[in-house]
Amino acid sequence: MGSVEIKNLTKKFGETLALKNVNINIEEGEFFALLGPSGCGKTTTMRCIAGFEDPTDGEIILGDQVVNDIPANMRNCGMVFQSYALFPHLNVFDNVAYSLNIKDLKEGGFLNKGKVYGRMLSNKLFSYPNHIKDKVNEILEYVELDHLSQRMIGELSGGQQQRVALARSLVMEPSILLMDEPLSNLDQKLRHTMRNTIRRIQQDLGITTIFVTHDQEEAMSMADRIAVMDQGEVMQVGTPTDLYSNPSTPFIADFVGTSNLLKGKAESINNEMFVNVDGNQLKSTYSNSTGEVDVVIRPEHLTIINDEKDAGSFDNVIEGEVLFSTYLGSIVRYDVKAGNENYLVDTTYNSGDSIYQPGTTLKLTVEPERVLIL
Amino acid sequence: MRGIIEKFNGMKVIKWMIYAFFVLFLLLPLFSVFLVSFTGQPINLLGSLVNVDTLLSTMDKLKNANLDYYADMVARSGYLGALINSLQLSLFVSLIVILVCIPIAYGIARTKMPFKRTISALCIIPLIIPTFISAYAFIIMFGRAGWVTYIYQGLGGQDMLIDPYSMTGIVLVQVFFFFPYALWPMVAAFKVSDVSLEEASLNLGSKKYFTFLFITLPLALPGIISSALLIFTVSFSDFGTPIILAPKDLSLIVVEAYREIAGFFNWAGAAILTVVMVLVAAFFFWLQNLFVKGKNYGSVSGKPKAQKLSDNKKVNTVLSVYSLFIVSVPLLAMITVFLQSLATTWGLGPLPDGYTLENYTDVFSTSFDNIRNSIILAAGALVLSVVIATFISYFVVRENSSKLDFITTMPLVVPGIALGIALIQTFNTAPLQLTGTALILIVAYTIRRIPYMIRSTTSTMRMIKADIEEAAVNLGASRFTAAITIIGPLLMPGIAAGSILVFVTVIKETSISILMAPAEWAPMSLAIFQNILRGEYYTAAAMSVILVVIVLVLQSLANLISRKQSQ
Ligand SMILES: Nc1ncnc2c1ncn2[C@@H]1O[C@H](COP(=O)(O)OP(=O)(O)OP(=O)(O)O)[C@@H](O)[C@H]1O
Ligand SMILES: [Mg+2]
Repeated sequence: MGSVEIKNLTKKFGETLALKNVNINIEEGEFFALLGPSGCGKTTTMRCIAGFEDPTDGEIILGDQVVNDIPANMRNCGMVFQSYALFPHLNVFDNVAYSLNIKDLKEGGFLNKGKVYGRMLSNKLFSYPNHIKDKVNEILEYVELDHLSQRMIGELSGGQQQRVALARSLVMEPSILLMDEPLSNLDQKLRHTMRNTIRRIQQDLGITTIFVTHDQEEAMSMADRIAVMDQGEVMQVGTPTDLYSNPSTPFIADFVGTSNLLKGKAESINNEMFVNVDGNQLKSTYSNSTGEVDVVIRPEHLTIINDEKDAGSFDNVIEGEVLFSTYLGSIVRYDVKAGNENYLVDTTYNSGDSIYQPGTTLKLTVEPERVLIL
Repeated sequence: MRGIIEKFNGMKVIKWMIYAFFVLFLLLPLFSVFLVSFTGQPINLLGSLVNVDTLLSTMDKLKNANLDYYADMVARSGYLGALINSLQLSLFVSLIVILVCIPIAYGIARTKMPFKRTISALCIIPLIIPTFISAYAFIIMFGRAGWVTYIYQGLGGQDMLIDPYSMTGIVLVQVFFFFPYALWPMVAAFKVSDVSLEEASLNLGSKKYFTFLFITLPLALPGIISSALLIFTVSFSDFGTPIILAPKDLSLIVVEAYREIAGFFNWAGAAILTVVMVLVAAFFFWLQNLFVKGKNYGSVSGKPKAQKLSDNKKVNTVLSVYSLFIVSVPLLAMITVFLQSLATTWGLGPLPDGYTLENYTDVFSTSFDNIRNSIILAAGALVLSVVIATFISYFVVRENSSKLDFITTMPLVVPGIALGIALIQTFNTAPLQLTGTALILIVAYTIRRIPYMIRSTTSTMRMIKADIEEAAVNLGASRFTAAITIIGPLLMPGIAAGSILVFVTVIKETSISILMAPAEWAPMSLAIFQNILRGEYYTAAAMSVILVVIVLVLQSLANLISRKQSQ
């Protein structure tokens, strides 16, 4: 029921091509992140799933049903909007009860319809039936908002509004949950707390969740799998560790985590791969291509050779000069210039260690399996 | 396939119904009057669609269409004279209003003149009084037995100070009752004028009045011109004042058009006059929009700079006394009507000869139906406007429907008399014979006043973000349910404010009522008008007071709502 399949999805707004042939498979119960820079089409993808945009081409399959022709109000996708889109004229309880009222509206005769419309317009004139009261209270308790149920939306903090929005979507037991940058309006500290809350609830309920963000750290720390998008295309889909250690393009390497993006010339010598980066011959275990290539080395995979005598025992040695150093708490990041290339080097810092001063000449090394050739 | 059916849903149908409404009751009537002005005979366009014979006769008439009637108009001094008189009247009124308003606007915007609040508050009076009541008030003030005449003669004057039944009388009534339309835009214009330029001028040693004349005034000029154009259109379209005050030898286009249709059933003449009226009004409306657009107050960015208000005692006192004089004239007119409504008789004297409530009991016994009619008709127009305006603002805001936006501002341009003539012409025969019914009256009121409603609901709609509606749909509501349960309540303040405006203006409405209301549906305005014509001044006064009280109460309610909304 909760799986999502996006097949060859294309979306045009007039002349603008917002999505180009997007293919994504999301399994039931998965926490899936859409990650990419602003304007890459994340929101558009999500709106196509929710039914707010008609795809120009392609199919969207929820569970085993093609939903292209099913109107947005019949898709049963809970969506948490970036702006929360709470109903400002209703209190917390009424907001959360909205979808339950709508369900009630579809049952019973004329009289029942009138009653439901009545309580949606004024909660003072018509009271809620018990099955709605219980359900709303239960979910409010779950997101720890039960004490605020009679507050108006304008009287809540950002974090509380966020939880109301979440509760409002969850109460209708959606087959999937869509969240469009739900944390972007919160301050740094609250964002960390809410990350945990959302992840906990998702695990608890086992609900398939698609989470849009342009914050790679958020995606990496929360998602089971991530699709990285750029200019309307899906560049790579994988688990956080996958994307980190095997980025398929320099763009992804750069977008997911920090990396040294280098230009090099690759050649195969005696069945072994070597890449020449501005004079430094580096051995690599990657062998996809030869000739002009992009080379990616993560800063934490570069090690400083402390003892000159050991230098001979390493496969790869790069000699350079420290330009400056940045102290980042538990690590020290050096900017090292070797020839015309700059390398960021992360080293763990233990109290008492000395920090290399700018101008110092260093030798760096990197394992062949950490020299990515793309 | 289902996608196509899905798109042809309720909202689409409603949109087409709204288009149909405006085409049927606004565009078609205007177009058919336009044709009649060439054929000289009534044309039944709707009938031509359903009946072959009618179609053939229409074709016949169209074949004979010619410019004779226009040539006739130019040749016959009657029509041309009426047009020239009307243009003259509007020109006088707009020029005098501007001259009258400059000191008041300057005083309110830029000085610390005393009684500013009182003056601003009194400016509301002219806006709530229908012009035919103002005109009638002028008669009982300045007429042969008026108290002004009494005082004037007491001071040694001969005859009357001003004859209310004259061009002068009409100009004065319109000046004193239309000036607030120009005042507030002019106050705004004076407020945004660049103060630093003025300070620079003063710094360079210029005299204060010199600075005002050559710096302040030119800077406010776009606002002033736009106000003048607005007054021109309002004066040109006004029917209430001329119908009461125009003497036999002074023909004005609105009165002439009314006579042609109501007196002589002269379709050719009425059609030509209608076309001319619409063209003139549209032209000045367009000119005014040009000015508003080019020199928008919005072009002054950000917060208005804090301005130093002048506190020159002498100047401020003069300004205040002058302003109080201007705003007290409409007030005195209203007090006069009120006294008359309580009078047993009132001859040539400063006060009535005796006081009684009989006029009111008379009104309630004989004219209660008129009050009831007014309320029913206004309520009908209100309901229709609310429904149509709500959907229109939805389409204009959410779907950027500029066509709908354009069509629905068109009624602002069409003078009431012109709309009335066009509707009568179109709907006085089968297949849609509506002339003389309450329905067409309600429709006419609605068309005429719906722009106010739309303005109000549209501005509220713009404040409701699209994602709120999407959230409702996402939670399972259909667009329709979302509209009722979410958009509706959020739109309520805009609807309420607009409703009262529609209700008030319909109750005040003169031209449509006088032209189109059948006897059994005569509203208060028509009854008052007929009483005045019959010389039954005392009942007319009592009924006017009732009308003004209703308007006043509703208007203050509207103010209350809009104040609450802006908080
Ligand atoms: N209604 C629309 N009409 C025209 N173009 C649109 C519309 N909606 C989105 N676009 C365009 O489609 C592209 C993708 O937009 P989308 O909102 O999906 O980006 P996003 O990845 O969500 O960006 P952000 O991180 O800034 O929210 C953009 O180039 C945008 O300008
Ligand atoms: Mg977005």
